[in-house]
Amino acid sequence: MKWTRRGLGALALGTSALLLAGCSGGGGNAGGGGGGDAVDGTGEVTGAIEIAWWGGDARNEKTNAVIDMFEEANEGVTANGQSADFQGYFDRLNVQAASKSLPCAVQLQGRQVNDYTSRDLLLPLDPMIEAGVIDVSDIPEAVVDTGRGPDGNLYFLPYGAAYDAVGVNTTLAQQAGVELPAEGYDWDDFVTFLEDAAENLPEGTRAIDSNGGRPNFFIGWTQANGKTLFDEDGKLGFTEDDLVEYWTMWEDLRAAGVTETAERTAEEPSGPDQGYFANGQLMTDTIPGNALTPVTAVLDGKGQGHEVTTIPYPSGAEGSGNALYPSGFAIPRSCDNVPTAAAFVNFFTNDLDAGLVFASDNGAATNTKVLEAQLADPALSETKKHELELFQRIVENDPPSIVFPPGYQATFEAAFRQAYEQVAFGRQSVEEAAASFIAEANAGLGS
Amino acid sequence: MTERLAPGIMADAPGRRWSRGTKNAAKRREAGVAALFLTPWMLGLVLLTLGPMLYSLYLAFTDYDLLSPPRWVGLDNFTAMASDPRFLASAGVTFAYVAVSVPLLLVISMLVALLLNTKMRFLTGYRALFYLPSLLGASVAIAALWRQVFGDEGLLNAALAIFGIEHGSWVGDPSTALGTIVVLSVWAFGSTMIIFLAGLRQVPSELYEAAAVDGAGRIRRFFSITVPMLTPLIFFNALMGTINAFQAFTGAYVISGGTGGPVNSTLFYTLYLYQRGFAQLDMGYASAMAWLLVLVLAVFTALFFWSARYWVFYGDK
Amino acid sequence: MTTTSIRMPRRIFPTTVVKHPVLFGIVRHTLLVCLLVVLLYPLLWMVAASFRPNNEIFNGLGLFTGNFTLDNYVNGWGAGQLGFSQYFLNSFLVTALSIVGNLISCSLTAYAFARLEFPFKRTLFAILLGTMLLPYHVTLVPQYILFNELDWINTYLPLVVPKFLGTEAFFIFLMVQFIRTLPRELDESARLDGAGHFGIFARIIMPLALPAIGTTAMFTFIASWNDFLGPLLYVNRADLQTVPLALQTFLDSTGENAFGELFAMSTLSLAPIVGFFIVSQRLLIEGIATTGMK
Repeated sequence: MKWTRRGLGALALGTSALLLAGCSGGGGNAGGGGGGDAVDGTGEVTGAIEIAWWGGDARNEKTNAVIDMFEEANEGVTANGQSADFQGYFDRLNVQAASKSLPCAVQLQGRQVNDYTSRDLLLPLDPMIEAGVIDVSDIPEAVVDTGRGPDGNLYFLPYGAAYDAVGVNTTLAQQAGVELPAEGYDWDDFVTFLEDAAENLPEGTRAIDSNGGRPNFFIGWTQANGKTLFDEDGKLGFTEDDLVEYWTMWEDLRAAGVTETAERTAEEPSGPDQGYFANGQLMTDTIPGNALTPVTAVLDGKGQGHEVTTIPYPSGAEGSGNALYPSGFAIPRSCDNVPTAAAFVNFFTNDLDAGLVFASDNGAATNTKVLEAQLADPALSETKKHELELFQRIVENDPPSIVFPPGYQATFEAAFRQAYEQVAFGRQSVEEAAASFIAEANAGLGS
Repeated sequence: MTERLAPGIMADAPGRRWSRGTKNAAKRREAGVAALFLTPWMLGLVLLTLGPMLYSLYLAFTDYDLLSPPRWVGLDNFTAMASDPRFLASAGVTFAYVAVSVPLLLVISMLVALLLNTKMRFLTGYRALFYLPSLLGASVAIAALWRQVFGDEGLLNAALAIFGIEHGSWVGDPSTALGTIVVLSVWAFGSTMIIFLAGLRQVPSELYEAAAVDGAGRIRRFFSITVPMLTPLIFFNALMGTINAFQAFTGAYVISGGTGGPVNSTLFYTLYLYQRGFAQLDMGYASAMAWLLVLVLAVFTALFFWSARYWVFYGDK
Repeated sequence: MTTTSIRMPRRIFPTTVVKHPVLFGIVRHTLLVCLLVVLLYPLLWMVAASFRPNNEIFNGLGLFTGNFTLDNYVNGWGAGQLGFSQYFLNSFLVTALSIVGNLISCSLTAYAFARLEFPFKRTLFAILLGTMLLPYHVTLVPQYILFNELDWINTYLPLVVPKFLGTEAFFIFLMVQFIRTLPRELDESARLDGAGHFGIFARIIMPLALPAIGTTAMFTFIASWNDFLGPLLYVNRADLQTVPLALQTFLDSTGENAFGELFAMSTLSLAPIVGFFIVSQRLLIEGIATTGMK
């Protein structure tokens, strides 16, 4: 290894910079410079940018294809994509944020965006919309709003909206002699449906997973029952009693053998195409709406002839229990090439050809023209078509957009799962677990 | 700390072998040579290692969320640990894991190393095959494999069913989940075994022959020759095994999907540290946890080195 | 323990008196094979599963269930922007440099700690051990900031340069322990023949410490080859990606998983390590036998 004087000097500098940072780091204002300056994204679209997203091989391929199209459409632009799996993506993103080297376009969801907005790390996109750099005219307003932070500013432009659905294995339902819940069914109907089915299901199958610890089902339940997950101040919008009621419902089902056992649920792999539902061992489960296609493929491989479909979440007196979980690209304050980043965000979300190439890989396309073009494509598979149509039905019901407070993904989701595990494994009563969850969530949210 | 940490290397190291007259000059010359030998490591220490270490020590006394500058909070992070049920759970899990997995790993890798240290057919093949599980490392495939073995519908239950024993999931049951991770660590005993094997190769066979002439049996020879000659490597494996077990992360991370579940039964110390630091953006707390672990490990290391003078034999004496 | 008996060790296997050698051999081989079957079943299962169509992977615990296909290997090899041939090359490059770096820096350092006297030796050795005690998660961020300042992101420098600077104290400690088992008399006689420290290091200690060198090389190979977090943080460009990063892309909790391709490429990624082991195990375990001591 050859060591030049310069290299060594740089190293020494780096180390001492670290030490200095260590000594002088006290105090300081969160977020740092530039807060409040409006950046409207106008300017020459040229130069290099980094683009980051999460996903596996299939999505990487599609995203890279769109990036290539973007480069072709804008001469002088070089865009480098960097992807990782969901967990690794956020680990890296946070390390990059710590060293103030975030990529210029970062993919985020409502569940994490406020971890970043609360530190003033992201640029509001509204000035760019006003300046005409980013176009939102083809996106339903309710969907655009899901990218807003607590201050009402738009921090990421939703390009794909995921939703949760109840997957039903219609073959098993038939064998159990139950009809699919009717349109507009509520939680009581759903419970009855599960209990009826459980009596006549074949050996080795259950009506549903032990789902008391899954936040998404709980979000649907709160909405259907006229409650909210979070109030306007980002505090919990439901009470301890609500949670006790909800978990008691699941505990009764579990005790009656309607749900999967706690042990089996604990060891279940997280990907929807790896779970028991995809194995044909569950009649119903909550799955992401876009998991229908892979689940169908896995079930086909089992060769038992099982068929599955998806229906909306149970609703209630207060309306639909469905919520949208959009993903979109945000632009960090530290970005040194905002015009190009803004152009990319706009291109990825609105360009018709790009939309067809990406093919709603991460939630249904939010741009209605793109969505219609995809639906009109004769090559679209039946399952994918069903996924997109169910999305349209859910959007028609005007789903509420949830503003997740900072710390949601890390604190709320993990604590919710763990608290219910304490119940399901008999370590705590429902009341104890609900109380300790509420305390933990209150302490951890907002930071 | 430094005085207590490493008495072993100096206390029994040979020193004064020069005559008084030449001693000082020779000493100075040797120190100069040592400086040359140590240059790369010293550079790395000063430029790459020490800075980040000291910075993390500073962070242990701050509130630092990665996304905004750290804020000095004194001992708050350390006092918060005392009332953090998950911290206490993680410490308990880790101690249990160290206590069970380290001795198991040492004994098994030693036994297999002895088994493979004799002249026999297919020796190379055996060694390679026993070593195989260690090669997989932290592969993402491990989680899927472990569920195939210890899951509800896994291999172990299928085998038990032959004997009419029914058992639920081993991975999903809080009382057995940690056990499956112990098995994972023992499964990958190859690395420890290789170090023992290499050490066994250095035991001079004349010692055995002499002992055999004296009429010592196999077991006598093992305890009076093999074990003493291997002590530097037993010492190494035991110490490194303990440090590694205290820092164990990957197995639990992969198998529990990063959650440490069910019911925190596989929430290892470093897994919780990682959750706090990266998922919950509480790097100050994570750094405090890390330095507390350093203290604990320093005590363990000091104990190891202190005990070493009584049972470790070096050939350089 | 007397040192005179170590003077001229001929390396022969310990003689053991066995009454029924054939019977003993059969029992021993049976024992080993049984143990191996248990140990290796998960791996065998993985290899077998890599030859099944993607949606039949988890059908059962047997090795030969479902249809046979090579698709996973064909598709997996071409996965990603550049395909696995590039990722394997990248991994080889990083791994080879890491091994060279570790061997040079760790053996030099270990020799100094095991054989030389110098001021502050105890303190420095304590610091060396101390660097192993801190969980690496908390130094990730400051290290990243450092390498980012140096503009080393998207190069292999953050993965390789530390190895040349002996940051892996584990290997230094390992070599110290090995070297200390070697009798001092060897150095002394070489010194009397006029050899300096570098001569003793290069001509006496290193050849005798071949098992330690082999072990270090092997462990470095595995660690670098399997390293995920380092490349994840420091190497974002597709053309620089290593095998573990590419493997991770087969799994996606938010989309479709490709376990067939994952298992196929995991199997292939094991091959170089197994090969390296088989080639180097002579060095690992029997190095000393071929060099001999005089």
